[in-house]
Amino acid sequence: MLSPEAEAIRDEALAGVAAASDVAALASVDRTFLGKDGAVGQILASIKDAPPEKRKQLGQEANALKQVIGGAIEERREALRAEALVAERASDGFDPTLPGAPLQRGSLHPVTQVTRELQGIFSSMGYAILDGPEVELDDYNFEALNIPADHPAREMYDTFWCKGDANLLLRTHTSPVQIRALETLEPPFRAIAPGRCFRNETVDASHEHTFHQMEGLVVGEGITVGHLIGAMKTFLREVFRRDLEIRLRPGFFPFVEPGFELDVRCPFCAEKTPRGCSVCKRTTWIELCPCGMVHPRVLAFGGVDAEKYTGFAFGLGLSRLVMLRFGIDDIRHLMGADLRFLEQF
Amino acid sequence: MFLSYRWLQRHVDLTGVSAQEIAEDLTIHTAEVEGVEPFAPALSDVVVGHVVDRKPHPDADRLSVCTVDVGDDTPLNIVCGAPNVDAGQKVAVGRVGTVLPGNLKLKKAKIRGVESRGMICSERELELGDEHSGIWVLPDDAQVGVPVAQALGIDDWIIEIENKSLTHRPDLWGHRGIATEIAAIRGLELLPLDLTLPETAGGEPYPVRVESPGCPRYLGLPISGVRVERSPLWLRLLLIAAGQRPLDLLVDLSNFVMLDLGQPNHLFDAGRLSSEGILVRNARAGETMTTLDDVERTFTQNDMLIVSGDEPVAVAGVMGGEASKVAEGTTDLLLEVAAFDATTVRRTAQRLGLRTDASTRFEKTLDPTLPAKAAAHLVHTLRAIQPDVTLPRAMGDAGTWTDPACDVELRPERVRIVLGADVPDDEIERILTSLGFGVVRSASPWSVRVPSDRAAKDVGIEEDLIEEVGRMFGYGNIAERPLEGPLVPAPRDERRELVELLQNRLAGAARFHEALTHTFQFDALLQRLGAFDEAYLEVLNPQIDGCARIRRSILPSLLGVLEGNRRHSDDVRLFEIGKGYRPEDANERGEPREVHQLAIVWALPRPGKNARFDAGVMSRLQSVVDDLIRVARRSASGWRALDATDVPSWAHPGRSMANEFATVGVLDPGVKRELGLDGDLECDVAFAELSLDALLAADEAPHAYHPIPRFPSVKVDVAFSVPEAFAAGDAIAVVEAAGKGLVHSTEMFDLYRGDSVGAGKKSLALHVRLLASDRTLSDEDVARFVGRVERGIERAGGELRSE
Repeated sequence: MLSPEAEAIRDEALAGVAAASDVAALASVDRTFLGKDGAVGQILASIKDAPPEKRKQLGQEANALKQVIGGAIEERREALRAEALVAERASDGFDPTLPGAPLQRGSLHPVTQVTRELQGIFSSMGYAILDGPEVELDDYNFEALNIPADHPAREMYDTFWCKGDANLLLRTHTSPVQIRALETLEPPFRAIAPGRCFRNETVDASHEHTFHQMEGLVVGEGITVGHLIGAMKTFLREVFRRDLEIRLRPGFFPFVEPGFELDVRCPFCAEKTPRGCSVCKRTTWIELCPCGMVHPRVLAFGGVDAEKYTGFAFGLGLSRLVMLRFGIDDIRHLMGADLRFLEQF
Repeated sequence: MFLSYRWLQRHVDLTGVSAQEIAEDLTIHTAEVEGVEPFAPALSDVVVGHVVDRKPHPDADRLSVCTVDVGDDTPLNIVCGAPNVDAGQKVAVGRVGTVLPGNLKLKKAKIRGVESRGMICSERELELGDEHSGIWVLPDDAQVGVPVAQALGIDDWIIEIENKSLTHRPDLWGHRGIATEIAAIRGLELLPLDLTLPETAGGEPYPVRVESPGCPRYLGLPISGVRVERSPLWLRLLLIAAGQRPLDLLVDLSNFVMLDLGQPNHLFDAGRLSSEGILVRNARAGETMTTLDDVERTFTQNDMLIVSGDEPVAVAGVMGGEASKVAEGTTDLLLEVAAFDATTVRRTAQRLGLRTDASTRFEKTLDPTLPAKAAAHLVHTLRAIQPDVTLPRAMGDAGTWTDPACDVELRPERVRIVLGADVPDDEIERILTSLGFGVVRSASPWSVRVPSDRAAKDVGIEEDLIEEVGRMFGYGNIAERPLEGPLVPAPRDERRELVELLQNRLAGAARFHEALTHTFQFDALLQRLGAFDEAYLEVLNPQIDGCARIRRSILPSLLGVLEGNRRHSDDVRLFEIGKGYRPEDANERGEPREVHQLAIVWALPRPGKNARFDAGVMSRLQSVVDDLIRVARRSASGWRALDATDVPSWAHPGRSMANEFATVGVLDPGVKRELGLDGDLECDVAFAELSLDALLAADEAPHAYHPIPRFPSVKVDVAFSVPEAFAAGDAIAVVEAAGKGLVHSTEMFDLYRGDSVGAGKKSLALHVRLLASDRTLSDEDVARFVGRVERGIERAGGELRSE
């Protein structure tokens, strides 16, 4: 049984608890009644001065008050928390169409992206990835590729020649890496070599004097045209993620014999009828990659026994593939270093 | 090169084979076809009309009003301005609605008050030549109302071959060569062609001498009794279809033989040559002659000339001379057909900027047996038109040529190995025979006789024959095969791995955009950057004047694109990984030293005057570079300031620094203005350059793993007032020394100069995190640390402002 004074404290406290509308008010009620100097605290403090016969009752009263008030406060706190969660879960003012806060981002150049994709495909098939100089010797760019001085084929490559050294030029293709590979690697081997190349062509939306190619070279015993076809089909299947018809037709490149042009059925209109679109210039074929069986003279230049070993080589138009991949309509953007272009990748 | 479908039919019966099918065949088996177009498509719309009546126009002297029957119920009334129009003629009529070349759609018209329902066409209006002095009068037997192309049997297709794909095939530079291919592809018979020279009057051969080594063979054949006249229609149409402009019979015939057999030739007016005959010799330096295009050319000793009585009369293999050309009134000719050295002709043509149909063919190395055949072909064709032409004298034939026909060994099993296809022996033999090769089958190897036109340039080894078999067998018939072999990892390429790592870090964590810029650098840019006087490799033939230099470093090109990008973007962050070339440092083969670099630029608007402490763009870029080096697992010594001797010319002389891998700096203010980064584009620009070569040369640092602390750390802030010259690095060193191993990390959060610090002084403030590995740090530990910092900084000449 509580004394009337204790009942008064209890009632006042419970009223305060009921009235507390937030956690802070509740804490204040807690302090006022249960704190060191609070009403219950004072009862507890008064015990030591009380006559012994009253001490027990005071102690019981204080504990009872503590339990009742503490329980009420705890209950109220739980209720307030639950209310707060409900309030927090409200969707007032939520607008999913508000754009996200701006994010500074970076990007890899599309040429890098496609190069990496190709490197991934070819290295999974055991191709080494090689590098070669952009300023190249005539010996490697032409001579060892079976294009001696005065060979009319030199005219096919609009070469940038260096001043002061007639043997120095900007490589017109990645093919000189073939020779460097033959000199350093022991057959059998498979290798690719991506990189920039240069031809003195007038620049327009589809021509750049600086462009990217990726050379491929496979040398071993019993390498055949069939392997070349297989390698090309496999890589195209990976890049375009489906089977695309290809065709090989004769093409003349002095460092291969036989030499081919590889065309791929235009992936942009292959499923349409009638076929033909602006990408393939209505021919339904896209010329993608000169290739062929390595000329025995090239193997010999590279110090490889052309009787024992055969090989195939290809020169993928990387810039062209990048443009196809991303639908880029103007090759000049690739070397333009314009953020408005780069930010899109 | 343009091929006429109808012309091909002179050599092979193409009944039932369309021009499109031919194009497809050639593409798959022989050479690249660029396109197939109908020849003179207007001729399929323009119909044969019969001029029933012609009256003068009532109001115009020069006009006639014609009544033209075009096979319809009612004849058309057409007003015509041609002087040669007359009743009874068969003419080419464009009716209302017909579209003529130039996209000219004919409409009903009133000409000087008289209605005209169509047009009687001239040859020029139909793009059949230059003739426009009058309308085109058709043969009398042309059937009225039928399209002209059909009525005259002249509908044709033009097949365009990509010249580059014929570079190695001198035999394909004429219709007969292409027809040979088509016959082989389709299993058709090549029609016979008489290539035997008719009897001449004999006697002493025409005097021809060859002095120049560039002329293996020269034939001179006098022809008499010719008339210069217009070529017959069939000849003109074929030439037009093949892209030649008809001129007169003799010029046209010369072109016809070239386009038919691929052998260029030349006709001189024999009356304008010296009686001494012809000499082929190299030019004397400075010697001159006016070529047929009416340009006076000056020659060098490397040019080969055709000379008569010591007067140049032609540039060998390139173009004839104006003075000896066939003209009106010419009756006696000297026909030149020769084999000229490919290189000599190409060099001269190139030097003179005079690439002709002739030089293009000679550049491919023509078969030296071909001139005699071409001479015969020209004479036969001429006689078919002018039967009374005579050959008054035996042909002169000089030179030291030999027949290039040769035997090449072929192992049929090698064919199958290289192609990866099971081509039977019989098929190999059939293919080679169809292409004119002679096959002697025996036990392997076979002996294959290569005809002179193929041996001249293209076919000399076994692989060449394998290509012949492969392309005719059809590459599409070869099955794909996977590569096989032991599974071993491809050799690693550390350079590429490093490149990818740097790219990923920059594009990812650091949020830069990867750019590619040109290898060529503009002189003007290098001048602005003060980098013009360094040694550059240059190209001889730049595409743009003032842009011949090959970059030494990547950075200048990136600096060059800042201004353009600043126009669209406040925060410009770009990087490029690429190669530069240093000619002063070439190896014994002459290859310039290649440097592999990463260049980074970062432009940010300058922070406002009242901005809080801002570490600045350079400081932020420095952190990016530190991070890159760390991610590359290399350890760098501290940054040192660059001084006047080693600071790059574009860098701020007092705000640039380097370590063994990288240079980081702020753009020089003058250079910045030169680059146009002022006014609205004003910004702070930091740059960095990392040497991939240096990174690759350095050992990889072992990864330093730190156990996760078991005890809590304590954060202490300290601020110093120090003299202006006092380096932040020294302050950090004081703090680290004071920590006696407890300093876990430091971070500078303020740098302040102002009244409260005093003149010549600055305030530096650091967050310091203290951590012990064996206990929780006490207040006393912190107090002792601060005491040591205070004493340390005082010894170093500063004072502790607060903690």
